[in-house]
Amino acid sequence: MAFFKITLLRSAIGLPRKSSGVLQALGLRKRMRTVYHPVSPQVAGQIMRVKELVDVSEVEEPLSKPEMRQLRKPDPGFYIESAISR
Amino acid sequence: MLSRTIKRSALEGRWLSAPSSVLPPVFLFPQRARLFNSTSSIVDENTVPEPLKRSGISTSDAKNTVPHTQKDGATSASSSPPLPTPTSHNPSVPTTPIADSVRELLPLLSAQTSHYATVHIHARPYLITAGDTLRLPFLMKGVQPGDVLRLNRATNIGSRDYTLQGAPYIDERLFECRARVVGTESEPLRIKEKTKRRQRRVKTVKSKHRFTILKISDLNVKTVEEIEG
Repeated sequence: MAFFKITLLRSAIGLPRKSSGVLQALGLRKRMRTVYHPVSPQVAGQIMRVKELVDVSEVEEPLSKPEMRQLRKPDPGFYIESAISR
Repeated sequence: MLSRTIKRSALEGRWLSAPSSVLPPVFLFPQRARLFNSTSSIVDENTVPEPLKRSGISTSDAKNTVPHTQKDGATSASSSPPLPTPTSHNPSVPTTPIADSVRELLPLLSAQTSHYATVHIHARPYLITAGDTLRLPFLMKGVQPGDVLRLNRATNIGSRDYTLQGAPYIDERLFECRARVVGTESEPLRIKEKTKRRQRRVKTVKSKHRFTILKISDLNVKTVEEIEG
């Protein structure tokens, strides 16, 4: 099952009420929020309404919030080679 | 007659004393100074590191982060808490063959002793050489004094004449960098007074951060035979 990965890049401040309403319906409350919705004509139409504000890509599986956070995390850059007995 | 001899002797005296007194000492000569900078450095072709990737902006970035997801997927799937505690084994060893340019120039770098490197710990760079004491700006979790850490993310390694630059990181098989956890250090207690307007209450906030001390025990560049043998 395919999902739309939608990220809000620009806020809807100064736009008609309808645009912010569409963002609310999509679950986008603040910038850089990413939501996943199943691919359907309804969601596609919603995206079309706010296409100037969001970044859309199609993915296979939705990621949870901790998983997305894990992806942003940089590499620790070390590992314990030999630990003393604790 | 007498005055002439005095004059001559004075002149000769100046001649004799001039080279030692007028000229600066030998170590200040420009030729000597130039020796330190005259050697040219060789840098690999792929020196320019990729710009820092911004996640979630475009679809190409999603493609770039795919190997990252695969690597982290194993840890997140096996253990529900997503805390990436330092593991006791090497989490990822690349298996791709070494590039020809690296293969060619690595002996030159490894032949010169006393290397430096820029290692990244939690994506922050630290310029180190062997024997350095490194005070991290944070308290490292999950380690105790006496542990030996293997630092495996470096953006460049260099000696006096050569520099190996990674894109963005150097292949971790090419070098060996170990650090021993020496202990922790703490800053003096800081007390900050918090006040609000029209209220007499003064709240004091104390902070006393603790930092992990590492000692770089060894940093050496491997040779091609060691890597493949």
